[in-house]
Amino acid sequence: MRNVNVVVMGFGNVGRAFVKVVSLKRKMIAEKYGININIVAVGDSKGVAIKKEGFDEYELLKMSELPRSSLHMFAPYGRQEVDIKEVYRETEPHIHVELTPANYLTGEPGYSNILFALRNNAHVVTANKAPLVLHYSEIMNEARSRGLSVRFRATVMGGTPFLEMLSSMKSHDIERVEGILNATTNYILTEMHENLVDFEQALKKAQAIGVAEADPTLDIEGFDAAAKLCIISHVIGKPINMNSVYRESLSKVTLKDVLDAVRQGQVIKYVALLDTQNKVASVKIVRLPKDNILAQVGGVLNAVRVKTDATELFFVGKGGGRIETAHSVFDDVLSIVLEKVIGK
Amino acid sequence: MKERRSLCVVKVGGSLLRDGRSYIESAENIKKTFVDADRLPIVVVSAAKGVTDLLIEVAKGSKKHLEAVTEKYLSIASEFSSPKLSRRVHEELEHLKRVANTISGSFDAALQDLIVSFGERISKILMVEALEHVNVRAVELNARELIITNNIHGDASIDYVATANNLEKIVKPILETSATPVIEGFIGATEDGAVTTLGRGGSDYTATAIASLLGIDDVYLVTEVDGIMTADPALIPSAKIIKVLSYREAMEAALHGAKRINPKAFEPLEKFYGSTVFIGSWRTFGTKIQRELPADLAGPKLVMHKTSGDIPYIAIIGEGVGNTKFLKMIIDIFYEKAFSILGIQSYYYRPSILVYVQKTEELKILRELHKSLFEGAKP
Ligand SMILES: NC(=O)c1ccc[n+]([C@@H]2O[C@H](COP(=O)([O-])OP(=O)(O)OC[C@H]3O[C@@H](n4cnc5c(N)ncnc54)[C@H](OP(=O)(O)O)[C@@H]3O)[C@@H](O)[C@H]2O)c1
Repeated sequence: MRNVNVVVMGFGNVGRAFVKVVSLKRKMIAEKYGININIVAVGDSKGVAIKKEGFDEYELLKMSELPRSSLHMFAPYGRQEVDIKEVYRETEPHIHVELTPANYLTGEPGYSNILFALRNNAHVVTANKAPLVLHYSEIMNEARSRGLSVRFRATVMGGTPFLEMLSSMKSHDIERVEGILNATTNYILTEMHENLVDFEQALKKAQAIGVAEADPTLDIEGFDAAAKLCIISHVIGKPINMNSVYRESLSKVTLKDVLDAVRQGQVIKYVALLDTQNKVASVKIVRLPKDNILAQVGGVLNAVRVKTDATELFFVGKGGGRIETAHSVFDDVLSIVLEKVIGK
Repeated sequence: MKERRSLCVVKVGGSLLRDGRSYIESAENIKKTFVDADRLPIVVVSAAKGVTDLLIEVAKGSKKHLEAVTEKYLSIASEFSSPKLSRRVHEELEHLKRVANTISGSFDAALQDLIVSFGERISKILMVEALEHVNVRAVELNARELIITNNIHGDASIDYVATANNLEKIVKPILETSATPVIEGFIGATEDGAVTTLGRGGSDYTATAIASLLGIDDVYLVTEVDGIMTADPALIPSAKIIKVLSYREAMEAALHGAKRINPKAFEPLEKFYGSTVFIGSWRTFGTKIQRELPADLAGPKLVMHKTSGDIPYIAIIGEGVGNTKFLKMIIDIFYEKAFSILGIQSYYYRPSILVYVQKTEELKILRELHKSLFEGAKP
């Protein structure tokens, strides 16, 4: 049995779901692959919980029952303040999992954490997009020079292996990627069309059921979708800068717009587009005929159409959702373990 | 590591959950009755007493009732003097408040279910804390992830296949950690993740479904009373606890309005594994409800009356009461006491006789029948 030490930074929706999924599935993974996934440290904005030998299932479940910002209260393992150096010195992790919030101005805290991890010989799995969007080449070069992996399939269509598939299409020239990449805004639009409520009401409902954040700016203003286009562009080797993505704010859509569209047999969608031939990228409010394939993707589903010089593909799946995203993170962790850690 | 056969299901009714003290009492009883006896109970909890009714008002837009719920749960939480717990409960209540703030004029059944679900969600957190408080390792399960239902908000039915799949996946980790899992009764979610509620008595339904789908032998439904009685003790003080009932008898009694039995709860038991249901209090589980009755236990089990419309009826319930001999005996009683019969209904395949009677004689008949059927008086 091989032990793999994992450090998790960020213990919000995804962090908790990840810890819970690991606690429920690690025995199964151990039986199947002969590896013990040991979560040795977990951090939030106020503190960390550290256990060198790895937390057991019961401890992981109890941890995910903590209120926000309370890891430091997780007796006897909790400590005030996050000192990543201390964490690494004590736990010597093989894999670093970054689940902190996205900050598109600085990339922090993810950017520093990821570089620190790589420089201390840990592979990285991130669901946080900002460090990749702002520092993709630097991060990848750092990893490559040390023979380490950085995986991030949870960042785009987080509940699906879309990025894995895209990056495996190595012989294709990818000309166009277009789709619904943000679950929150798609849910809001679906609410507006189905229940004929205005934007504010739909947003409130999305917040009530946990589909939208208390501060929905990143979703509503198109930053999240733009960041995803940016990551896609890097994966297919035709990088664009996030600032060059043209964005429209979804808050402009009124109930009247929706009614007008419906009357004309159309549906309003918030569509992200990366056109590598014309080198343009945008996140726009568009009207689509009702029978358009993207028009039929409702609620928290995401969908992408990929056009290459050889073929056209259509991909539908859950965009986020903490449990789905946690599984994507877990899958990245396992693929690193199987390819890199055990193989070595 | 616990054995699978150590599992049982224990539902703790809301009438028992009034304050911090009563959560701890329930936890102590769970420990004494099950954990110390080397069993691993899956605990199903209802909302604390009165909370569901308050939340229904919240769903109609009442801020006053929202305050009442907040106060009630915060005060229960504060009795544990755990800052962690208070913060957690506070977080849930903040979430509830956000949801309540989205209420607009029109009634939205999905929103009502979401709001009402917080009653059980917070109660579960409190019960886990109470168990830990009495040194029982306990963990939360999430009904919204495990109990999958159709989308009939307010009265949803469990999707047995999807739910069985979900439950089966967590059984092994539960047995491995040997920690007592606690899950919300009464709530579930659709495949799409919308929160639903299972209707009146829904916690019993959650409990029997879990037991039946996991092939668990025993389900304990804990309330304030010691069991199901031969008649309503408020009317007939000499009413006794019924020791054994069949599913059919219990469902028939529920059909005619018997309290503490929820007919929906028997559906999974009839369709899948036939677990035995024990109904009672922490003092004693007086009534046992099982799939089949041994032949010697056939016969009348309880009498009740129901006033529907103008003509009330008396129902005599029990396997085999529809046979000719028993019918004759009942009619003899009416004849001797000179009660009038306005109508009578009985089928050989149903465990009941219904006798329509005059309003003025209703209670007298009930008493007379109880006396001759259950108190050994010769008719
Ligand atoms: N939610 C989804 O479905 C989804 C899907 C795909 C990708 N993502 C991405 O995944 C990441 C996490 O999402 P989430 O929904 O879990 O966010 P979240 O609920 O806001 O959680 C963020 C976590 O990061 C912690 N944190 C903040 N600053 C930190 C610091 N300096 N050091 C250590 N921890 C810090 C927070 O601490 P406190 O608890 O103390 O506040 C919190 O625990 C985000 O980047 C998001 O974009 C999310």
